[in-house]
Amino acid sequence: MPGETIKSMVPITFLYRNRVGQALETYIDGLKDKKILGIKCPACDKVYVPPRTVCGCCHKKLDTYVEVEQQGTLENFTVAHVTIEGGEIKDAEPYVIGMIKLKGADSLLSAVVKGVAVDKVKTGIRVKAVWKEETQGSYSDLAYFEPA
Amino acid sequence: MGKRVAIVGYKQTKHSFDNLVSRERMVYELVKSLYSDIGITKDAIDTFILASNDFTDGRTISEVYIVPRIGAYMKDESKVESDGLNAALYAYMRIQSGLYDTALAIGFSMSGSEFRAPMINSYVMDPAYERPRGLINFHSIAALQARVYMEKYGFKERDLAKLTVKDLKNANNNPYAARREQKPTVDSVLGSRPLYAPLHEAHVSAYADGAAAVVLASEEAAKRITDKPLWITGVGHSMDTYYLGDRDLLRMDSLRSAGEQAYRMAGIKSPKREIDLAELHTNFASEEPVFAEALGLFKEGSGKEVVANGDSNVDGKMPVNPSGGPLGANPINAAGLIRLVDVCAQLNGEAGKNQVKGAKTGLAHGQDGPGAQQNVVFIVRREK
Repeated sequence: MPGETIKSMVPITFLYRNRVGQALETYIDGLKDKKILGIKCPACDKVYVPPRTVCGCCHKKLDTYVEVEQQGTLENFTVAHVTIEGGEIKDAEPYVIGMIKLKGADSLLSAVVKGVAVDKVKTGIRVKAVWKEETQGSYSDLAYFEPA
Repeated sequence: MGKRVAIVGYKQTKHSFDNLVSRERMVYELVKSLYSDIGITKDAIDTFILASNDFTDGRTISEVYIVPRIGAYMKDESKVESDGLNAALYAYMRIQSGLYDTALAIGFSMSGSEFRAPMINSYVMDPAYERPRGLINFHSIAALQARVYMEKYGFKERDLAKLTVKDLKNANNNPYAARREQKPTVDSVLGSRPLYAPLHEAHVSAYADGAAAVVLASEEAAKRITDKPLWITGVGHSMDTYYLGDRDLLRMDSLRSAGEQAYRMAGIKSPKREIDLAELHTNFASEEPVFAEALGLFKEGSGKEVVANGDSNVDGKMPVNPSGGPLGANPINAAGLIRLVDVCAQLNGEAGKNQVKGAKTGLAHGQDGPGAQQNVVFIVRREK
């Protein structure tokens, strides 16, 4: 029967841009000055990094920016063997994605961790931020973390 | 306690990586045959809830194309942009409201043939922060969670591989599953492509084309339609924070809370004893022990023991994903609703080689968001 199965497909593409909010703009401005900024909730005292404008737990508006330290502890990690871009999974040289608790912060920050062999990395190690030499006001100014 | 709500019909497609038909036809054929199975027409349905997503459908207000296919023409209809078990939850609530006696809930997508599932998953990530940075995605979150579980409880890569083999074998016995792995073994799992350690390709669910649908009814309406209704005795729903860095990936607070709500409503004191099987919406095999424990189906940290004893096998103490779960087929938007359909089939003794003997009470779970941020739990019971 005609059309019993269909083999024809037509492509669909979308292009978007997304304007960041006030908190991330402030965070990005901080990165340009090689500072890591968080924001403090007046109700629960938690410091969130990167900053956000509302504490979901307390339902409070946040506006007290605080600088946190550039050192912290590796709380969790995965050794990545791939990157995923546009939904495509591509093989990559193994690298470490860490979840880092910076001193003065209550949330974990995701970042690439370098300077430690992928088969030697473990939780609990102290790590510190490494900056791009010339910062330009973007997430990549905070290049990666390495053992402190 | 509200009204009693029954499941009077349920059906899923034969899922596949490319089903070679359009989404509209897939949905039409599924719903038509479901209505015919239970001896009704569209006129018997008061309200319709769809689970799909403008991103997975590639168009806005995407249900408008589906409305005529499910028989919702000139009727009350709404869409939930989330997993299909949410559609069943909304349908349940609509019947509870007393405004409707019957409802169709349906979830579907073409996540095998029309788009790359990791792309849709990445669209869930915060567009202003995590998404452009490219580190945190569904796969890497699952890896972070798996690593914590394994480190804390001495759950080894071979244990996880063994659990994966259990699901893949169940999927091979499930006529609706998309994935067929010839003789899956611990070595074939561990030898598959490494993604984010400890996860390999074999641990990842089978994103596929597919759909599932259920018909819910009030007690009075259920009596008119069927002589073997299955009763929804408990439901629970909870949403965790979006921010990964705030969450405890092991505790799974939102799943825990959804489970507790459902147990309380169903009057279940000991899930271990009172539930006969669970179908969990696991996007990755490594989620299975974490979810099952958060739901109180096994003792915390007992994954190693459970795998060694075969406790979660079809013939084990607490069968988990006897269908093979999403490792066999994971059509985005439908996967959680498929869990409910599989539970119903189990309770009516229709699960073939994967049948859990004497199953009377089942748990179905659906999730959405990175790292199962949002969770829905259904408890379903057969009366006789």
